[in-house]
Amino acid sequence: MPTILTHVPVSDGTPNRTALEALTRARQIAGENGWTCAASVFAPDATAAAETLGRYGAQTVYAVSDDAFAQPLGGLVVDALATVIREAAPEIVVMPSTEGMKDALGGLAQRLGAPALPDVVAFSASGTAVEATRPVMAAKFRATVTAEKPADAPVLVSVRAGSYTAEESAVTPEVIRVALATDPASLKASLREVIASASGGVDLADATVVVAAGRGVRDESGKALVDELAEVTGAAIGASRAVVEMGLFPPEAQIGQTGKVVAPDLYFAVGISGAIQHVAGMTGSRTIVAINKDPDAPIFDVATYGVVGDLHQVLPPLIAALREAKGQ
Amino acid sequence: MRFAVCIHQVPDVAAPAQVRDGQLVLDAGRVVLDAYAASAVEAALQLKESHGGEVEVVLVGPQKAAETLRKALAMGADRGTHLLIPEDAALDSRAVVALLAEHLGGSEADAILTGKQSQDTDAGLVGGMLAEALGRPYVTNAVGLEQDGDSLVVTRQGDRGQEVIALPAPCLVTCSNDMNDPRIPNLKGIMASKKKPVETVEASPEAPAVRTVAYAMPPEREPGQRVEGDEPAAVAQTLVRLLSDEARAI
Ligand SMILES: Cc1cc2nc3c(=O)[nH]c(=O)nc-3n(C[C@H](O)[C@H](O)[C@H](O)COP(=O)(O)OP(=O)(O)OC[C@H]3O[C@@H](n4cnc5c(N)ncnc54)[C@H](O)[C@@H]3O)c2cc1C
Ligand SMILES: Nc1ncnc2c1ncn2[C@@H]1O[C@H](COP(=O)(O)O)[C@@H](O)[C@H]1O
Repeated sequence: MPTILTHVPVSDGTPNRTALEALTRARQIAGENGWTCAASVFAPDATAAAETLGRYGAQTVYAVSDDAFAQPLGGLVVDALATVIREAAPEIVVMPSTEGMKDALGGLAQRLGAPALPDVVAFSASGTAVEATRPVMAAKFRATVTAEKPADAPVLVSVRAGSYTAEESAVTPEVIRVALATDPASLKASLREVIASASGGVDLADATVVVAAGRGVRDESGKALVDELAEVTGAAIGASRAVVEMGLFPPEAQIGQTGKVVAPDLYFAVGISGAIQHVAGMTGSRTIVAINKDPDAPIFDVATYGVVGDLHQVLPPLIAALREAKGQ
Repeated sequence: MRFAVCIHQVPDVAAPAQVRDGQLVLDAGRVVLDAYAASAVEAALQLKESHGGEVEVVLVGPQKAAETLRKALAMGADRGTHLLIPEDAALDSRAVVALLAEHLGGSEADAILTGKQSQDTDAGLVGGMLAEALGRPYVTNAVGLEQDGDSLVVTRQGDRGQEVIALPAPCLVTCSNDMNDPRIPNLKGIMASKKKPVETVEASPEAPAVRTVAYAMPPEREPGQRVEGDEPAAVAQTLVRLLSDEARAI
């Protein structure tokens, strides 16, 4: 039976949320076309994730277990994906548009001779063609792109965070263990050091509430207010490029065209002007609150609720009111 | 080290543009050197300045893109190669990579640098595809780049933190614009660029496997509202009430 394969990155045993959103979409496409919905997972113990993937509808799970996947280099991910794809012979391969997958996508596309549709917000299959919608021009426009499946390769699609909603539909997956064809030690690149995220383990793209800071936050006293707002709302902390450049927030917090794309239920933009390159990474958010002292700041054009004012005046009573509402 | 930096010309995303009959219309036709590729040029120039070497810039594009090649030469690149394609050629990543690979296949470049993505399409494919086509190891999304003998030491921005990766030449690195601030060419650089060698090679790209069939505006967001008042405490109360009762976000 034809197959649609979703690759699900896991970190510390937890499947990436965007990948589960993509898997949900893949399951719909499998249902519409009478295809098998399959998933692949690479981890030190990949079979441990199989049950979760079954919960999201993966009928077949290709599991590649190797300790190297605790912190894999891109070359290894390309090799493992190419091996699984040769075995599963899918029509379409879907993956989340994370930095980890962006690292592998080009190499994989070239190795397989597969057309790639990167960073899409929607995709569908009809016959052997895949059609997708992707933001372009710093997300000011959307392009519809198509690719025809080659005879001996799939079409590759990577999906932006928040494009679909992850929904469970449990099956008991058949787990197929696939051996890694490459000795990780044979890769030419070598990992010298990992500089762990300063923001703890929460991947911004997985958060349901984000508090994002911009240049208006300026210093430690502004940052303390942002931290407090994040704490009371249970949010992950994001940042504009300007404050990452200043060193006030860590680079993995950057949201936007160069940074991450996020689509939480609630997004606070604090002291952010709303440059198109920042907005490109956050307009998928359901509710947006903007706090900015400039009434003409473009961030207000995308805000659900806009508060004009100095963040030092606006945030303390807001934090207090949120605490009260949450009974904290 | 000898560097080859792949650069290209993109529409200015900040300039007015609109969609008409499913086509993207760039009102002023303003074009620029891709910001990510500009960071790749800057990275190569900095390594050349501290360790010696040579910087070639390679561009696939129509006649008009020659000005972008000149800009990179004015920044300080030593020579340029223009893989010249017809004005109306439809390109996808594969077609670009095939032309770049043909030119760079015989190249003695120790390191090939590209942008991590294009400013106009955010595709992020050319670097990895080109590396694979040439059989070179590669690292994407570099935010730091150093030279250590015959290797590059790349600091790569990952999803949760950074990785420092040693990459022996010949290799390929894709660069983030967070790595540096590309220099603005000065008058001396602009004058010097006019005398730098540019090789123009007529090229015909293969038919694209990925086609852009239409453009549209993104879905509009519901119009928002200002939450106003003289008292910050009252504004905060109103906002919290809206967030809980109207938006159901808390
Ligand atoms: C190719 C490219 C990619 C890029 N990628 C990204 C990206 O991924 N992410 C990103 O964020 N940017 C990105 N940028 C940069 C982007 O263009 C902007 O420069 C950046 O987003 C500005 O950050 P900011 O809003 O924090 O700063 P500013 O634009 O300086 O805005 C600061 C805002 O704070 C307000 N303010 C000041 N003081 C206060 C106060 N006390 N209280 C309340 N408000 C106050 C001001 O009114 C102002 O609106 C990119 C640019 C390029 C060219
Ligand atoms: N036409 C081109 N000519 C030369 N280099 C290119 C071209 N298109 C893309 N590149 C390079 O590849 C990078 C990523 O492009 P893309 O894969 O299209 O997002 C760019 O930043 C450039 O460095």
